[in-house]
Amino acid sequence: MENDLYSDRALDLLKGIYPSTGHAHVVGITGPPGVGKSTLIGSIVPLLMEEGKKVAVIAIDASSPFSKGSILGNRIRMQESLTKHSVYMRSLSTRGLNGGLSFSALGTVKILDAAGYDTIILETVGAGQSDLDIMRLAGTVTVILAPGLGDEIQAIKAGLMEIAHIFAVNKSDRDGAFQAIKDVQDILMTSMQGDWKIPVVGTSTVTGEGLRELVAQMERHASFVPSVKDRGSVLKNELSLIVESELMKMFYRSMENDRGVTDIVGEVSDGSMDPFTGSRRIISAISEKINSSATTLP
Amino acid sequence: MADGKNQSLFKDKPVKVLLAKPGIDGHDRGMFVLARAFRDAGMDVLYAGLLPTPEEVVDTAVNEDVDVIALSLLNGAHMVVFKKVADLMKKRGITDIAVVGGGTIPDSDKPKLEKIGVSGNYGPGTRLSIIIDHVRERAAEARKKKMGSE
Ligand SMILES: Nc1nc2c(ncn2[C@@H]2O[C@H](COP(=O)(O)OP(=O)(O)O)[C@@H](O)[C@H]2O)c(=O)[nH]1
Ligand SMILES: [Mg+2]
Repeated sequence: MENDLYSDRALDLLKGIYPSTGHAHVVGITGPPGVGKSTLIGSIVPLLMEEGKKVAVIAIDASSPFSKGSILGNRIRMQESLTKHSVYMRSLSTRGLNGGLSFSALGTVKILDAAGYDTIILETVGAGQSDLDIMRLAGTVTVILAPGLGDEIQAIKAGLMEIAHIFAVNKSDRDGAFQAIKDVQDILMTSMQGDWKIPVVGTSTVTGEGLRELVAQMERHASFVPSVKDRGSVLKNELSLIVESELMKMFYRSMENDRGVTDIVGEVSDGSMDPFTGSRRIISAISEKINSSATTLP
Repeated sequence: MADGKNQSLFKDKPVKVLLAKPGIDGHDRGMFVLARAFRDAGMDVLYAGLLPTPEEVVDTAVNEDVDVIALSLLNGAHMVVFKKVADLMKKRGITDIAVVGGGTIPDSDKPKLEKIGVSGNYGPGTRLSIIIDHVRERAAEARKKKMGSE
């Protein structure tokens, strides 16, 4: 499916299933590499299933900036749990493609939602704009940190504090966990997401500590979410994601097919046109194309 | 709108490979070398985990929509285990995922494996580039079938 989510056929499919979506609770799990996100997902999946929920997991691994290939290592951390509970999981790679990735994730979420999954867990490494974009797909964003890495500071820098609804300090079996939880609480002292007071939960996949509380907080937030304003902002995010990716699609298609556009690209590459003028020209070439095809749109 | 010739940015997502050593076989180092080589060749690589059953391998391959399952065994159980995977695929009517094999496989077994759809069957010490090319080739076939079957 993510092969050609950019095809018109894929968009038609998504449009078709859209009325059957909106039921799933999308839980984002993000945070620095190595804090135990994948392992933690493996540990909370059974707790969600115990409550009769149908659970799916989408996990995103970073592609190598050089080869664009990736080792999709998240799965292996939760494989045992996935197998035991027959959980659907899909691994995606970032492929060095920002807008495209978010759209793949959006499409996959919608399909799982329409297929009747109750909880869809989305794992990303909380780094960079594309990761933040993906987290905008989640109704409940959980940021995972671990003691002793100075993660709290990183999280603030990376903009994770602004999007978090729940914090978990994982590896609470380790030294320094108590202090780390306290540090996060201190930083959060004044933070609210609307009327929601952001909880900080200590968890350990080794001892099992805090796992139930984490799940309970996720569910508490799920029932807290659908304020009209929040629902509106999720929909608005979806819309801008789709528009962004549609525009990108048009841009790349015309870079490949459209003589007018390839000529401009040529002129910019050989230095005879400045890139600002070039960009304006490309945009007007694309919008002309849209205008002329507008009459033929359904 | 006609699709362009070069849709690389959106359409040609990387070849997705599932590496698996089903059955009891403790040798994992070779798998990591392969995983890294595949990644460096621009592929997305999944690893099926420790001692997955053939059922788990096929389940994972389907759920993850991989192009190729790369099976490896060094313990001589390939005729049983590779066949089990191939049989499961057949039983479930999966034709758009290719299966390649590798490990210590006697030459006399290779045609039998080929016949049930497990190709490659390279031994230890085979040049990585040969394996990569073969996986790419099989992946292209699988991808064509995926596109056709949609
Ligand atoms: N001590 C301890 N180690 C953990 C815990 N959770 C995960 N780990 C380990 O942390 C490492 C990274 O885990 P992983 O789930 O891959 O982290 P991710 O990169 O955030 O997804 C692995 O070696 C895990 O076994 C925990 O609660 N306590
Ligand atoms: Mg992970």
